[in-house]
Amino acid sequence: MANEALAQSSNTWFNVALLAYIVAMVAYFFRLAFTRVSADGVIAGTAVGRRVGMFGTAVAVVGVGAHTASVVMRGLAAGRVPWANMYEYSSLLALVAVVVGLVVVQQRMGYGHLVGFVLATAVLSMTIGLLLYTPAGPVVPALNSYWIKIHTSAAMASSSIFMVAFVATALYLVKDAAERRVAERSAASFDGSTVGAAHVGGPATTEQRPEGYEADTELDTRVASPLAQREALSPVWFPVVPGLVVVVFVLAVWRAPVAAIIAGSVAALLGTAAWYAVPYLPPAAKLDNLAYRTIAFAFPIWTFAVMAGAIWAEEAWGRYWGWDPKETGSFFTWVLYASYLHARSTHGWRGRRAAWVAVVAFVALMITYYAVNLWIVGLHSYAKA
Amino acid sequence: MTETVTPASQQREDPPSGGRLPAIPGPIETARRLWRALRRMSTALLLLFALAAAAVVATVVPQAPVTAQSVEQWRTGEAGPGPTAASVIDALGLFDVFGSWWFGLLVVLLFVSLTGCLVPRYRAFLRVARRPPAPGRNLGRLSNTRTFATDVPPAEVLGAAQRVLGRRRFRVRCIDADGAQQVAAERGHLREGGSLVFHTAFYVLLAGAIIGKVYGFTGQVSLPEGGSFADTRIAYDAADAGRGWELDDHRGFVVTLDEFDVSYFDDLTPREFVSRVTISEQGAPVRTADIRVNHPLRHDGMVLYQLAFGMAPHVVVRAGDRVLYDDRVLLSPNDDQNLWSGTAKVKFDDPERQIALDLVLAPDARLDSEGQPTIGPDPRPNNPVLIGNVYFGALGLQRPIPASQFERGSGPVDTAMLRPGGNAALVEGNLSVEFVDLAYWSGLQVSHAPGRLLLLLGAGLILAGLLPSLYSYRRRVWVDVQPEGTGSRVTVAGVALQRKGVFTDEFDDIATAVDREVRS
Ligand code: HEM
Repeated sequence: MANEALAQSSNTWFNVALLAYIVAMVAYFFRLAFTRVSADGVIAGTAVGRRVGMFGTAVAVVGVGAHTASVVMRGLAAGRVPWANMYEYSSLLALVAVVVGLVVVQQRMGYGHLVGFVLATAVLSMTIGLLLYTPAGPVVPALNSYWIKIHTSAAMASSSIFMVAFVATALYLVKDAAERRVAERSAASFDGSTVGAAHVGGPATTEQRPEGYEADTELDTRVASPLAQREALSPVWFPVVPGLVVVVFVLAVWRAPVAAIIAGSVAALLGTAAWYAVPYLPPAAKLDNLAYRTIAFAFPIWTFAVMAGAIWAEEAWGRYWGWDPKETGSFFTWVLYASYLHARSTHGWRGRRAAWVAVVAFVALMITYYAVNLWIVGLHSYAKA
Repeated sequence: MTETVTPASQQREDPPSGGRLPAIPGPIETARRLWRALRRMSTALLLLFALAAAAVVATVVPQAPVTAQSVEQWRTGEAGPGPTAASVIDALGLFDVFGSWWFGLLVVLLFVSLTGCLVPRYRAFLRVARRPPAPGRNLGRLSNTRTFATDVPPAEVLGAAQRVLGRRRFRVRCIDADGAQQVAAERGHLREGGSLVFHTAFYVLLAGAIIGKVYGFTGQVSLPEGGSFADTRIAYDAADAGRGWELDDHRGFVVTLDEFDVSYFDDLTPREFVSRVTISEQGAPVRTADIRVNHPLRHDGMVLYQLAFGMAPHVVVRAGDRVLYDDRVLLSPNDDQNLWSGTAKVKFDDPERQIALDLVLAPDARLDSEGQPTIGPDPRPNNPVLIGNVYFGALGLQRPIPASQFERGSGPVDTAMLRPGGNAALVEGNLSVEFVDLAYWSGLQVSHAPGRLLLLLGAGLILAGLLPSLYSYRRRVWVDVQPEGTGSRVTVAGVALQRKGVFTDEFDDIATAVDREVRS
């Protein structure tokens, strides 16, 4: 069948894209490492770093092209939209995240050196997709509706953007910890002032600040050496925590020790990269704002996805909402992101606490996305077939 | 969020309990404190966390209304953390989180809190939104300013500024005070307005959900090809009617299943299944239609959904010449094998001498050389075999439990294996079983969901309010003009409450546009 050939080339292009993302990710991290921070906090790439970074962008763009080809062929081979099972979700999740990373984070917001982390999440997502591989095939009748196309595409688009937001949130938490510790230290060693304390409520929430509030941008210039930020953080936790989380996740789901060790090592490397990158990251306030903007962008799309899901459930099963595990999962994810938006404008919750809410919300999203489909019985569990 | 004291709560400042200071707050004082606490943003946040936590529990613990079987397994200890833990879970009502009293309380608290937040926000919004743009002072100290000199007289500059800002849909006001001439402009009330619409939409959703619950009806019915049912309460195998649904709310129309069709993909997974039905009213057919998955049929305020299907062999059981049973038996799919099974209650008037027939149908059965069937993978009944196990004695068929759960105690007394049209004599010729022919049955759901339009409206309002509340931002712009010789000295200044980065770009555009408009 011609379909077989198409499905085959879809898989080939998938592998090409995965390889391209890995190469691009390494290049972006290289670019990050070849950044220099001057004493006044200005970040500038070295010539080598810039060149490698440009190479990384080019490879990532090629990867996006190959990935798009893979997705389109998959759709043609199966004769339907290419997002109907876990493998396809994971693939598209990565594609959209990379596109958002390149177009929004790098092009529009100018945080190009963060794209390595976005690529890393894309690589992780595609690896998980490979573990959940399903041959191209048609869908059961319940999935055969235009509402599901609307529902799943909105859910996927918003999940990808939440993924980018998670990168920003995690980096914000790291950067903020470093900034605060350095501020505390210099406050203690210089004049015992409360710079650190002033920073706690910090420039994190430029958005909702009352009129006339002036940001204390002077803070960064007081940092004696930007590299002090790296020294202020223990290098142990950074590889250990993500590595362990990924190992446990892969072991729990697939009981595949080799895959677990590989994925865990990648995650540990990422953690180390985050630690190494601390001085070169944008200021915490900027990262926090990036996280907020991306979440605020994804939240209405997620809201719409949940609504479209309810409309589809009403057509397919004769009830719009039945607290099926998947429905419940998307509901608590929604409530948690709504809580994040609230927390950002609640006194005493701004900054780090709100960011932790966003982290929990992302964990909820991942549970809804993977765990509910793989472990928990419900009407939606056929999605794994 | 700051606490806005409303006049209502000010009136309650003096509890009518007399002058003495009570050591323990009285009921009114307690209620007031509770009301104040519920109005705080941090309380709303905690309530939202509680809502999320409840939903997490409901995802991890099986829920009786959704997966009753898993709940049973948890209770008996077959699955889950064991019977002891299950009894604790049971006591806390965690097997039905969304039906539990504490979840109801949580929702009530959320809505009280929502009301407590919205009332002062509406008041403030109406006050602020009606207020004309305020004059600006100390414009030089604002975050965005631009100053330029021009030889155009002040009146024309003001006119130009009004045009520019008006085109950008700012609310514009001309101020002429103490010699200073100024255009004050404001935009972005949509942010708070959208947020209010968004939060208010939850009442609409709640109303829709309650109306659906109280006045709604859902019933399931299974009928074989050729069979029919009337939309009356007794016709449904299972029904869930709201408190406000009356028996004579049923429409009484008759649905006949003319034909059921199922088609398969090459890999033998179902492609589509369709019920062709005729609906009759007062004995006369009024319409013929198809019901398929994702394409329900709407008729007279009721909606008919395709839910399930199965095999329905026509079976006749005789004792000598006497017909004991003559009907279609509805068989359901087995989960892991290509088999369909079901039970026929053949005779159950005498509790001690009952007859039941356990039926298994293999749609793709090939007989090997010894006459034993092997089960093929094809779900289409091209080569069906029906196997019947006959049970006799005190089977408990009279009990009000599903037929399939009768007591099989001593095992079947005889077994028949039949092809369509086949007949078998059983139990030494005392009983004969005939497999007349094979048809499908279709499982339909019939619903009346009156709150649906309100829910749709609420969902629309949520989206319509959410977008401006996240993207719109409030900002003010002033154009201050001082006469300078024959021309003017112009100061454009602006400030945004939110999205300051975006505003900086917008401000540059505005200042440039004012400059250009003045020159032209
Ligand atoms: C029914 C549950 C609730 C949900 C799902 C919810 C959700 C949200 C969301 C998503 C936002 C951000 C978008 C916007 O600005 O409109 C928001 C903002 C807001 N919510 Fe809620 N909310 C709920 C209940 C409440 C309650 C009970 C209060 C009262 C304390 C409240 C007060 C606010 C305020 C003041 C804002 C504006 C914050 C700002 O613009 O900075 N909300 N809410």
